Amino acid sequence: MNGSQSILLLSAFLFSTGLLIVFIKRNAIMILLGIELMFNSANLNLIAFNTSRPQLPDGQIFALFIIIVAVCEAAVGIAIILKAYHYYHSAIPDQVSELKEKN
Amino acid sequence: MTAHLAQDSIVLYAALAALLLPLLSFAFSFLVFNRYSWIISIIAPVLLFLCFLSACFVLLHVSKEMPFHFQMSWFTVGDNEITWGLLLDTRATLMMVVVSSISLLVHLYSAGYMAGDSNIQRYFAMLGFFTFSMMGIVMADSLLMLFCFWELVGFSSYQLIGFWNERPSAAAAATKAFIVNRIGDAGFLVGILILWTYSGSLTIQEMSIADIPSFYLTVAGICIFSGVIGKSAQFPLFTWLPDAMQGPTPVSALIHAATMVAAGVFLLVRIYFLFTPDVLMLIAIVGAITSIIGAIGALLQFDIKKILAYSTISQLGLMIMGIGAGNSLASELHLYTHAFFKAGLFLCAGSIIHVLNQASREKTLDVQDIRKMGGLAKRMPVTYLAFLIMAAGLAGIPLSAGFLSKDAILTGLLQGEIIFLIIGFGISGLTVIYTIRLLWFTFHAKDSLPQFIQKEQIGDPAPIMKIITLTLAAASLWLMISWNPIDFNGWTSQYAQGKILINSSVITVASAIMILLISLAAYLYFRDKTLSEKTSDIMLNNFGFDSLYNKIVVMPMLKLSNRIQTLDQKWIDGLLHLTAYSQVAIAHFMSWWDRSVIDGSVNGLAIVAKGTGSITRSFSSGKIQTYILWSMLGLIIFIVWIMF
Repeated sequence: MNGSQSILLLSAFLFSTGLLIVFIKRNAIMILLGIELMFNSANLNLIAFNTSRPQLPDGQIFALFIIIVAVCEAAVGIAIILKAYHYYHSAIPDQVSELKEKN
Repeated sequence: MTAHLAQDSIVLYAALAALLLPLLSFAFSFLVFNRYSWIISIIAPVLLFLCFLSACFVLLHVSKEMPFHFQMSWFTVGDNEITWGLLLDTRATLMMVVVSSISLLVHLYSAGYMAGDSNIQRYFAMLGFFTFSMMGIVMADSLLMLFCFWELVGFSSYQLIGFWNERPSAAAAATKAFIVNRIGDAGFLVGILILWTYSGSLTIQEMSIADIPSFYLTVAGICIFSGVIGKSAQFPLFTWLPDAMQGPTPVSALIHAATMVAAGVFLLVRIYFLFTPDVLMLIAIVGAITSIIGAIGALLQFDIKKILAYSTISQLGLMIMGIGAGNSLASELHLYTHAFFKAGLFLCAGSIIHVLNQASREKTLDVQDIRKMGGLAKRMPVTYLAFLIMAAGLAGIPLSAGFLSKDAILTGLLQGEIIFLIIGFGISGLTVIYTIRLLWFTFHAKDSLPQFIQKEQIGDPAPIMKIITLTLAAASLWLMISWNPIDFNGWTSQYAQGKILINSSVITVASAIMILLISLAAYLYFRDKTLSEKTSDIMLNNFGFDSLYNKIVVMPMLKLSNRIQTLDQKWIDGLLHLTAYSQVAIAHFMSWWDRSVIDGSVNGLAIVAKGTGSITRSFSSGKIQTYILWSMLGLIIFIVWIMF
């Protein structure tokens, strides 16, 4: 249980770091990066919890799915960012504010 | 019965016509254009002639036994119904005829006298209005209605005295007459109210049968008599009448000799039954004093109109004394005769003034002074003849109407205290003296006309004026009273009076002899005299009564008024200002309250709403990361809430 506890702590640290990156980084690429970090911490959690019932690999398979979804998500996200950069000449979401009231 | 009623309604219409035709003349005067103002000097006499005919018609249809009485509701105060109505007994109708006939003659005369005056419309309007008011006094059946017309008479007199309102003296005289009359009328009103309180009615007929406590009857009598003192120019309020001579001379003839000043005497005769012995004594004393003062005034004046004015005062005093101490019916008789001959004398004086004014090169100079006349008998024979006859009436020479009526008064005075009889004889003597004086210095004495008068232009006035004065002279003969020139119980007195006067041949003979002797003596005395140029100040100021009144009434009143003015400014105005300032202060406070509290609460609400809005808005700032933060926090809160 001790081993999985330290993994859980690591995963919590990674999740917090990812969340922090999502909050404070201005660039959309960096935000995407933070999201990837949070995915991976979730994966770490799944794998860590799977160690307590080794007869079934369901946790690891779930982590594999997440990796695939994360790749797709990263591909789609970067495509959107590229498109937006193309259109707005900026990859910073705060500057893309056409709907917002100008003041 | 129906025939009787029909006749009654005809009489009513005739009486109303006599009352309202002069008013029509008044109204018509305002309808005529200025350019055609001469029309009014034809229309007004025509209307007055119709009025005179109506009055004569009423006179013929009213009998002594059955006075005509018409009454209508006027207004109601609480439970008291006030009525107006006409009470036409023989006395009133006779007075109606006298008033309308003299007014007619004065209208005709004025057409000549005032020709060319630029304000002729106003003149005839006020003349008509005066006649209307005077007819109202004569016909009124209640004291309230009589009082209304009494005031209207005072008003039209004011208008006519001040007719030449560009002269300051005329304006002052008009104001004086009006104010002095007000003083008397205040008493009159109080008297009416006392009578109303105790008899419960205002009509003369109902008052005559009411039971009034004798003390209040005395007080009311004195109060009403004070109104008479004002209107009939009795002592001590007579000072306005000599000043009233500032008005046009026909006005003086109509108002200040024949009718208005006689209204007081008429009133006394009409409500004679109300007076207690005390009041009658007061009336007699006032009348005696007035007649003496008037006679002395007439003896000392030099202005021809003022002599006649003082003579009027004296004769009115005689009448009033006759009412107080003798027989009121005799005074009534003298009222009628005096009306004719005094109006005629004034109109003759008017003719003289008119002619002299036209002959004068300097229009502004005074031509009324008898010291600057003389020798006019040859130049104005017709006027002289008329003046002579009417002066005989004034002096009471036998064969004139004045002799008969004065004889009636003296006979009546036999009933009272002997002192009044002596005064009556004395006044008759003084009347003769001042009449002879006036006649002599105007017509006979050596010609002393001033240089600026073109003597060759002096002659009798326009035919209409001559005819009028001759008519009035004819009306001053004994035939007006009776066929018998030494018996005053003739047809007029038979008609006007309820009972036959006692007849005393001693008085008649004595007065006739006395009057003739005094005439002779006065003639012999004045024959060689010339008038001194000196006029004493006392005479110019109405025996000093004017300055006396100024000292004891006018000056204290002015002082009092000044005091009151100061008081007014200090306290009343101060209070007013205080109120105003406090209101301004309150208004300021209100506006502050409005701005800060009322507006403030609204603004505060708005600010709160705005703040809430901006706080709420700040959540949706448009930043994705903030959204994520908030949803993350929400999620954490949710989890914490689920788990614990």
